[in-house]
Amino acid sequence: MKQFITGNEAVVLGAIEGGAEMFFGYPITPATEILEGWINTASEDKSLKYLQAEDEIASGFATIGAILAGKKAFTATAGVGNVLMQDPISMAENERLPFVGIIAQRGGPSTGTVIYSQQEVNLTALGGNGDGLRIVYSASNVAECYDLSAKIFSTAWKYNFPTFMLTDGYLGKQKITTQLNKPIRPFPARKILKEDPENPTHIRNCFGSEPEFAKVLQRNISDYKYLIDKVAESENYKVSGATDIILAHGSVASAARSAIDDLRADGVKAGLVRPITLRPLDTKAIRSQIKNAQRVYVIESAFEQFARLLVYVVPELASKMIKVFKPAVGFTPEEITTLIKTQNKHR
Amino acid sequence: MKKEVTKIVLAGEGGQGIQTIAKVLSTALVSAGYFVSYIPQFGPEQRGTPSVSFIQFSKSEITYPKFDTADIVMVLRRRAINTIMSYIGANTQVLFDSSTIARQKFSINNSKIFAIPATKLAEEQFGNKNQNILALGVLAKNFLDYPENAMWEIISSQLGKKFAKNPDLAIKAKAAFDFAYNFQLETKKFSKPEYDTCEEIIVKKNSDRLAVIIPKYCKGCGICIEKCPVQALSFGKTLGVYGTPTPDIDIEKCITCGNCFRFCPDSAIKVSPTQK
Amino acid sequence: MKLPDEKFGMPACFNVKSKPSLFCPGCGESMILKHLGAVIDNEKIQSKITLAIDIGCTLLSWDYYNFDIIQTHHGRSVPTAVGYKMARDKRIVIALMGDGGAYAIGLQSLLHAAFRNDPILAIVINNTEYSMTGGQMAPTSLPDEITSTSPLGKNASIFGPAFHGPELVRQIANPKAFIARSSVSNPIMMETIITKALKNQITNKSFSMVEILSICPTNWKMNAAESFEFLAKLEKVYPVGEIIKNKSDKDSKSISE
Repeated sequence: MKQFITGNEAVVLGAIEGGAEMFFGYPITPATEILEGWINTASEDKSLKYLQAEDEIASGFATIGAILAGKKAFTATAGVGNVLMQDPISMAENERLPFVGIIAQRGGPSTGTVIYSQQEVNLTALGGNGDGLRIVYSASNVAECYDLSAKIFSTAWKYNFPTFMLTDGYLGKQKITTQLNKPIRPFPARKILKEDPENPTHIRNCFGSEPEFAKVLQRNISDYKYLIDKVAESENYKVSGATDIILAHGSVASAARSAIDDLRADGVKAGLVRPITLRPLDTKAIRSQIKNAQRVYVIESAFEQFARLLVYVVPELASKMIKVFKPAVGFTPEEITTLIKTQNKHR
Repeated sequence: MKKEVTKIVLAGEGGQGIQTIAKVLSTALVSAGYFVSYIPQFGPEQRGTPSVSFIQFSKSEITYPKFDTADIVMVLRRRAINTIMSYIGANTQVLFDSSTIARQKFSINNSKIFAIPATKLAEEQFGNKNQNILALGVLAKNFLDYPENAMWEIISSQLGKKFAKNPDLAIKAKAAFDFAYNFQLETKKFSKPEYDTCEEIIVKKNSDRLAVIIPKYCKGCGICIEKCPVQALSFGKTLGVYGTPTPDIDIEKCITCGNCFRFCPDSAIKVSPTQK
Repeated sequence: MKLPDEKFGMPACFNVKSKPSLFCPGCGESMILKHLGAVIDNEKIQSKITLAIDIGCTLLSWDYYNFDIIQTHHGRSVPTAVGYKMARDKRIVIALMGDGGAYAIGLQSLLHAAFRNDPILAIVINNTEYSMTGGQMAPTSLPDEITSTSPLGKNASIFGPAFHGPELVRQIANPKAFIARSSVSNPIMMETIITKALKNQITNKSFSMVEILSICPTNWKMNAAESFEFLAKLEKVYPVGEIIKNKSDKDSKSISE
């Protein structure tokens, strides 16, 4: 169905499609409309619950409490709120809880700008005091805000790792005419605390010795490795015969897509490889697409955050990539077109 | 050239003074001119788990606090054995407390296993806080060949505050140290510990009441004794889970007031009226 | 003679496999956990309880009972309990924490739970120090109290005097909230107060908070007798019983009404 809708509105609709029942949050730009939107919806639909908590730490831990009770609960935050949220997310990561968060990226560090950036990739993917066993999607347009915010609940509850969708201020605040497709049937939630005194559930979070804790971590890591092939996703756009491949995610990928249409019209063979999951990355697809390209661009609104994740899994990128980093500043399709054309002329 | 490092593991029950003698020993080795590394095993559950410390000394610098196999292992309580067993190798010298641990617990065929009945000696001769000093005396003489007077000086400076508070403790500690320094170590292949945690329960009854004491739950805190309004409780000879004495009840004095089990943190005692 | 029943002398809701517990000899918290267990037995609510525990010595109780227990982060047992209770309002939810978790790192969550009247019971164990880390100064340490971070005694003019948590929470808590202080010196009273607090959650669907003055012989470096003497001193600074809102605030409330 065709709608005129903002990204943050699409997040609320998508989450409900994904089976979300409870929301916990704290106001922060540019994620506030998700809190407001959920509360507006909940005032009509009494089965939806919410709490505007005293801070992001409390909203994160209350989300955990509700998840333990078997509810599809989630939170939405940004910037400094995401920093505070690492406390509950670390617990969810260790306890293998299906924690779901929408991260509306804003400029950092510190309070930075409230507008736009792609600088919360590191924090969301690898934050906390652990190894970053998390699943991170990056939405590139409003329709995807809807699709992915439904999907992340299923991924989280199926694999039991904290799961996030990255958006940004442009995506959240932009009101756009778009087609929303019916999402896949959601994977069900289940009670984690079983409420059975004969067989009580004891959630342990603090361990007494290195070997004892190492066992837990080894199990978590092996489960994480298992899900990589099942969860990792990417999209290719006009890669066939491409001499110039752009690697970008989120809003930047949307700008690149427009640029590629213009470039192709002008006879420049440009294509886009867009990871939909930043963690884990769809390594095979990325590697096979860049193999025959003459030039590979990594474009992001951050300094080396996306690039660093890529280089770890596709090391050959380190020497091959043309780095285009603009921390906390957006890209227009026109500037990407110009950039690629300039590179082509130099050839 | 391989570094000559001597590696030591000291283990016992929390509260037995394992870390105290580890600090004394480290200080002694430093003052003898060695490079020394000392680290206690630490974690959130250390209060209720055995106390272990790792010491290394060498003529050259030591960089890493832990190791796989020890040259010397000292263990004073049965509960600590599992923690330290993996540190015992073919050439490790072991000192254990034969009054709390059976020799057979060391299944390895190692001729370097020696014993002193430290807990028994402390209980019967030197005051029950001194089993660590007894062990230290043995270590100093038999394992490290450290001069007796020099070691005692370090003990008395490290424990100076405690000794000043309780001069009797200093006298008993000195006697214990001297005794242990000259003690002929046991090398028996079989021993039966007299001072191990009692697995049985203690039941006392008369026509009015029945008292049950459960040593394996008792941590020897003494709260029941403190809270008994008629002094029917006192520390006895039976040992609880941490190897500390458990209460003994005078069933005739008892008035079944319930204070002892109401206040016991560990559900280790219960008195009830006899059913008539 | 062997023990006829491993649970002999323990509350029926205890997990006997976790005993003897990891708490130190003479720990006041083990006493509190025993009486909390006794209340749960008496009220026959074992099958309805969910316990969220903080970090601090309370973390040692992660498998203490035969009902669901969530070991959270430091200062986070309250928000976790709040989220759980919102999702499962039929459950009886308890958050257990120490004075550091309640009055330092987790204070704003405790205050807001009381302010919103979230129907949970917060049990705060006050032994005037951080025990798990070895006895550091806490907001609740008494003026002049010696701890490892106040080796010369707590300087009240710099670090503040004794922190009265329940009195503070009472000032902003919903009028239906039940807020009280108890002490391990009086186990019978402790059970009565915990019972009342749980009933306030069950019947009145309201917030309850019980601070329990406790002993820490290990870090206080005291024997049983000395520990109870110091506890008596604490009870003079921190009065036990139900905490009533300051009169002056009642007056100001009538003005605002």
